[in-house]
Amino acid sequence: MKIRELSGLCPVLCLSAFVLQAQAQVQETDQIGQLQKQLKQTQERFERQQREMKEEFERVIRTQQAQIDSLTKQITHAPAPAATGASPIQPVPATAVTPEEVKELSGKVDQVVEAQKKIRPGEFNPSIGLVGETVFSYRTRGPGQTGADRAGGFDVHQRSLELNLAASVDPFAKAYVVVNAAADSATGEATLGVEEAAFQTTSLPGNLELKAGRFFGEFGRLGYIHDHELPFVNRPLALDQYLGGESQSDGLQLNWLLPIPHFVSLTLGVGDHFGDPKNNPGDRRAFTELNFWGRLSTYLELTPDWQIEAGISGLWNPKTEDRGGAQGQPDGGTLTERERRVAGLDLKVSYVPLRDNQFRSLTWGTELLCSDNRYLFDPNGSLAPSHPSPGLDGDEFSGRIGSFGVYSYVTYKWSRQWSGGFLFDWVQNAQDHHDETFAYSPYLTLALSHWNQVRLQYTHTGHNPVSGLRSDDAIYLQWAWIIGSHSHGWQQR
Amino acid sequence: MAGPVEAARIRVVATLTDVADLTRNVGGDLVEVQSLATGIEDTHGVPMKPGFIPLLNRADLLVLVGFGCEHAFLPALLEASKNPRIQYGKPAYVDCSRGISPLEVPRSTDHSEGDVHPYGNPHYLLDPVLAKVAVQNICNALVALAPEHQVEFLRHRDDYLARLDAKIIGWQEAMKPLQGAQFVSYHEHWPYFAARFGMKYSGTIELKPGIDPTPRHIEQMIAAMKAEHVPIVVREPQFPEKVPSLIAKQTGATLVKLPIMPGGVPHTETYLDMMDYIVRALVGAVPK
Ligand SMILES: [Zn+2]
Repeated sequence: MKIRELSGLCPVLCLSAFVLQAQAQVQETDQIGQLQKQLKQTQERFERQQREMKEEFERVIRTQQAQIDSLTKQITHAPAPAATGASPIQPVPATAVTPEEVKELSGKVDQVVEAQKKIRPGEFNPSIGLVGETVFSYRTRGPGQTGADRAGGFDVHQRSLELNLAASVDPFAKAYVVVNAAADSATGEATLGVEEAAFQTTSLPGNLELKAGRFFGEFGRLGYIHDHELPFVNRPLALDQYLGGESQSDGLQLNWLLPIPHFVSLTLGVGDHFGDPKNNPGDRRAFTELNFWGRLSTYLELTPDWQIEAGISGLWNPKTEDRGGAQGQPDGGTLTERERRVAGLDLKVSYVPLRDNQFRSLTWGTELLCSDNRYLFDPNGSLAPSHPSPGLDGDEFSGRIGSFGVYSYVTYKWSRQWSGGFLFDWVQNAQDHHDETFAYSPYLTLALSHWNQVRLQYTHTGHNPVSGLRSDDAIYLQWAWIIGSHSHGWQQR
Repeated sequence: MAGPVEAARIRVVATLTDVADLTRNVGGDLVEVQSLATGIEDTHGVPMKPGFIPLLNRADLLVLVGFGCEHAFLPALLEASKNPRIQYGKPAYVDCSRGISPLEVPRSTDHSEGDVHPYGNPHYLLDPVLAKVAVQNICNALVALAPEHQVEFLRHRDDYLARLDAKIIGWQEAMKPLQGAQFVSYHEHWPYFAARFGMKYSGTIELKPGIDPTPRHIEQMIAAMKAEHVPIVVREPQFPEKVPSLIAKQTGATLVKLPIMPGGVPHTETYLDMMDYIVRALVGAVPK
């Protein structure tokens, strides 16, 4: 039954095969026709485009001829061409130049071109800048009474001689180095130190920028600015206390500019230390012994002349057992830092008039820092290195000390050269928040030029009843100069 | 408004209002131009606002005056912009000074010459004939970026150059009475302008570009101006009025306030309006 059905199907199959074949033949001839049609269309289109291009070209030539005519007309109206000095598009009437003159001129051009073909081994040298900074001062009291790091009375301090080198590494990155011959505060002997040596990407996708090496990590506003670029002579006390001065770190820092119409910048970093001296990792550094930091900053334009920049920063070093070790306290006990946490809030309000900001401006900057460190308290001082057998003896306990500090300054600029301001400092000791120091400093800056600046500052540091440090009055005359290349990066603006 | 055309617009950031206006004229509706300067700033002193960073970050094209005019603010902004397309040397970094030979190129690149004109004088846009070179540079960059709109850009360019040419003839006619007339200004803005219109530029109140005058320099200037009977002191509104007006008073010269880029003074919003204003103000300053 199945076979019968199949035999019945056979002619049908044959017929349909034939029909299919015929259809294929018809399709083939159809396709050839279509191809021919397409070819014809393409040809027509090409001819049309060629015609259009020719017309456009002729039109451009006509317009340019009209321009040349109009310029020639102007030349006859205009003063002597020699006086104009710079007008490469002014055509010179052809009749005015003889072939001999052209030959002579081209000879001269060749000479100039030849002169340019020099071998310059220094061509790829980095840009070099040098900053010198000298601080002359008079202090009423010596360091024994004030805790200052410089001698009392008259003092001259060649605070820094800073060498800046910068260049592109390749199309994807640049690098910069800051080497500072800073004078030792006690001996006055200059020691060469690498303040920064970092590599920075220039074309990472996704609005990212990576920095690696040694650099001043981003925390707050003035922590990553070199001394001579501060608006006053000395680094604010709060930055010294909580960051340890400049926010130097050996590590990695990633910055992300948020892809939104409003300026928001986020920075995250990791490094072996931050500001203060390096942790001593001993045999092996645990991940938690690294420092982690971040800053989120934004900007608000109040009027075209007034703006606010604000940021929040955080620093966390989860395990700091060996940072400074057990430190002796006045009461005979010791204190060992076990965890470091610093948070910061920075705010800058500035009046920068669009029209004459080189002659007039106002800046109000404030930074608030909070420290919340965890310590190991050792009341009987058994952990002190001077102890006959240093070690835990059971009286130790762990706890946190919260403290904060603030500085705030106002600088007013009233001419291209002169500006002046007032800095207020108040800070608690991170290890003892009852130990408070305040200071204020009026200052006056004369910028003879962009590279030559003199600053006079008076600083009164208040009496500290807890630490027993005496009040101090100091007068500073700071002189800073720059030679060679000097460019302000975005952070130093 | 926000249709497909809006979305396809080329985003241009111009540093100053002169190159912004020229770009608007060449680009027409195909571009959206934002200028960092509003017009009242000093050409070398546009404040570095963080608000500029997102603009630059999204820009398809950066149009600048060049010759180091923007050196005080542009390099840092570009670094922070994180936009590889518009960095120095890239096709979308449009230096309008390309093809112009600068005047007053310092003999040495040394800070004893001040710092703001290290590559020669960058104020060539105050010569309307040189503005045509800038227009061409802008046009080239736009065509390179969007070749599909070549025809429109060339048409806009030709229309604008035709208008500018007609204006130039008028300005030269109007400036005829000032042929050979001497003038001083605060900053060295006017050498190209003076050369174009046959005026004699007799010096600047600034000691060097970007360096304030010393009392001795002012004294010498007053003496020289008196001896030469210099009739005009040009005052750019970006600089303090005190010294220019003192010099004008002491020498009997007329003080003329002139914009240095569009928008510098009211009713100078376009480049053509600004040049009209400058010519009118100068012509009005000399006794007939
Ligand atoms: Zn200038």
